[in-house]
Amino acid sequence: MTAAPATAAELTAPMTTPLIRVTGLTKTLKGQDEPRVILDGVDLTLHSGESIAVLGRSGSGKSTLLSLIGLFDRADGGQYLLGEQDITRIPERKAAALRSAQFGFVFQRFFLLKHLTAAQNVAMAMVNGQGWLPRRKRRAKALAALDLMGIAHLAKHKPPRLSGGEQQRVAIARALVREPRILLADEPTGALDTETGNVVVEALRSATDRGCGLILVTHDHDHAAKMQRVLHLDHGVLAPAEVRP
Amino acid sequence: MIGLSGRLRSALIIGGQGIRARKLRTFLSMISLFLGVLGVVAAQAGQVIAQRALVAEMEMTQGKDGTQQVYLPSHEDASRIAMDTVEGRSDVVAMMSTNAIIGEPNLRPVNEGGMPIDQAGGGGYSGAYMVCDAAGYCTDENPNADQPSGQAIELRVQALTADVRQFRALRPQSGQWLDFDGAPQLAPRLVLNKEAAKAFAMYQVPAEMRFEGATAHSTPRFVGVVDDGIGAPQAYVRSDELLNWMPVDALSDPRFGQVEILASPAASDFVDILRNKFAAIGGDQQLDQQLYVNVISSADQIPEQIALMRWVFLGVSILVLLIGSAGILNVGLATVGERIEEFALRRAVGTPRLLLAGIVLAETLLTGLLTAAAAIGAGIVGLAAASRLFGDEQPMLENVAFPWEAGVAGIAAGLIAGVLGGLVPAARAARIPIATVMRA
Repeated sequence: MTAAPATAAELTAPMTTPLIRVTGLTKTLKGQDEPRVILDGVDLTLHSGESIAVLGRSGSGKSTLLSLIGLFDRADGGQYLLGEQDITRIPERKAAALRSAQFGFVFQRFFLLKHLTAAQNVAMAMVNGQGWLPRRKRRAKALAALDLMGIAHLAKHKPPRLSGGEQQRVAIARALVREPRILLADEPTGALDTETGNVVVEALRSATDRGCGLILVTHDHDHAAKMQRVLHLDHGVLAPAEVRP
Repeated sequence: MIGLSGRLRSALIIGGQGIRARKLRTFLSMISLFLGVLGVVAAQAGQVIAQRALVAEMEMTQGKDGTQQVYLPSHEDASRIAMDTVEGRSDVVAMMSTNAIIGEPNLRPVNEGGMPIDQAGGGGYSGAYMVCDAAGYCTDENPNADQPSGQAIELRVQALTADVRQFRALRPQSGQWLDFDGAPQLAPRLVLNKEAAKAFAMYQVPAEMRFEGATAHSTPRFVGVVDDGIGAPQAYVRSDELLNWMPVDALSDPRFGQVEILASPAASDFVDILRNKFAAIGGDQQLDQQLYVNVISSADQIPEQIALMRWVFLGVSILVLLIGSAGILNVGLATVGERIEEFALRRAVGTPRLLLAGIVLAETLLTGLLTAAAAIGAGIVGLAAASRLFGDEQPMLENVAFPWEAGVAGIAAGLIAGVLGGLVPAARAARIPIATVMRA
């Protein structure tokens, strides 16, 4: 019996212990019209401290891929290993626990809660029923995460008083506050100007310095170029991409 | 345990944040629920207060729950047998009645027949001296009938062998109660009921007492006033002090009522003793069969009307409560629709579906509890105001305390409304898909 040939994506990956290994991931959307294949056998490996950019045109399935990796949704086929653990068919209750313990998420639209301050928005990730931290500790960790983003001075500000870049950095602090092993960012700079976008991407990338794996879905080739690997999703297939800044 | 605690705390914290963020909406939900909860609180409070008042009234006029009440047959030896049987016992009290007139001698009392003083002189006398035969023909055998009317009060006197308050909850009004520990005194000490006290307050009469069967007139001493719930003038006296002035058989006069014995629930042998004694003197009359024994039970005597009124009131309250729950449900559904992104985000950061449902339920439950607190507060204030305004006219409301049962009912109503109004929104919140909502 011979080993299966390595995929192109795997060939370009650094030789460290993989945080994530997905193989043959498929997803088909079944709406009122004809079923639409979104992912058609995607293979992807993410290592600790590695950053990956996923490029692709709108509707190519980048966000779907991220939602499968982030356990928001379930794949139709393929295998999903988190470290050594096969989580392809993990029940929702355990998926929630993994989302809390292993993943951090950053979205294009920030999704900050308007009635909470920046610090409370960060701390909300620690009030999720997965363990318990006293209020003082939650606040200290939230402030530390905001400080990491350089916006600790805005801790008491509510989202409507923050700029887009500041709001996104609060969202990144929220994603990092539980010290996740994997950071998933879905077009985090889509609503920001270039300069602010650069700041945000740098903030995300810096998380990999602490051993966090990062998958960045973006349309921006400049931002993609800052990642260690750049992949392109097209017609449901993920392949290494050439980046032209 | 820690996990559960963490989840419970998380639900309460997030629920509290949700309420604070939507104060007006929460307030509007509370308004729709308030009347229903207040209705439940009022129904429960009214029922408990009415029941307590009835029980208190019963304890005052008849006896406390479980008290054995024995009426002896009409016989000239009844009082003697009663006194012999209860002698030296603290768990049994004999009550024997006679009529007394206190005031100027040889005058007709102002309330002839011992009628309530407000009805004195109203005619239609039907007191103890009115004797009717089997055909229904009645004659007045009042010994004072031919005498001129004057300053004298007629009242019923209850001669007691021991302290009756262990069985009947007489309410002290002023002065003292009878002292059964010391030696009997020659001048009988009387404790008046409120009606008698009112009569003596209206008519300043000389303190000379004449009563049926007495060998001489005595000078009574009024030592106190009690409320016994009886609407006619009455007084309580130690039997041994009364018996200084009259033979014991005079206390068996059936015109003034049967001899009554009150006994504690534990006193078991005295009824058999009484039966045996009456059997011995009764001969063909079968007096022992005429002994009437009753055990006082408040549960049997609470009128059905109270229960009916309670159910009608509760029915209306539940209806209003359901309307209030529908209000919470409506607001809850609108809120969940408005907070789809928040709930999806919370799921994304690891909040389990069940906890998400718990957060929504926590919000509606907190709303229900806040409403219950407001309704209970309103109930307490309302009852205090009613007690202050109407306490003088309605003894039921006099110094009445808010019943804890009504508080419990209010909290239960608030919680039930919170659950009813929160279940559907909670289920909907738990089903929000993360991927669809959070897509870029």
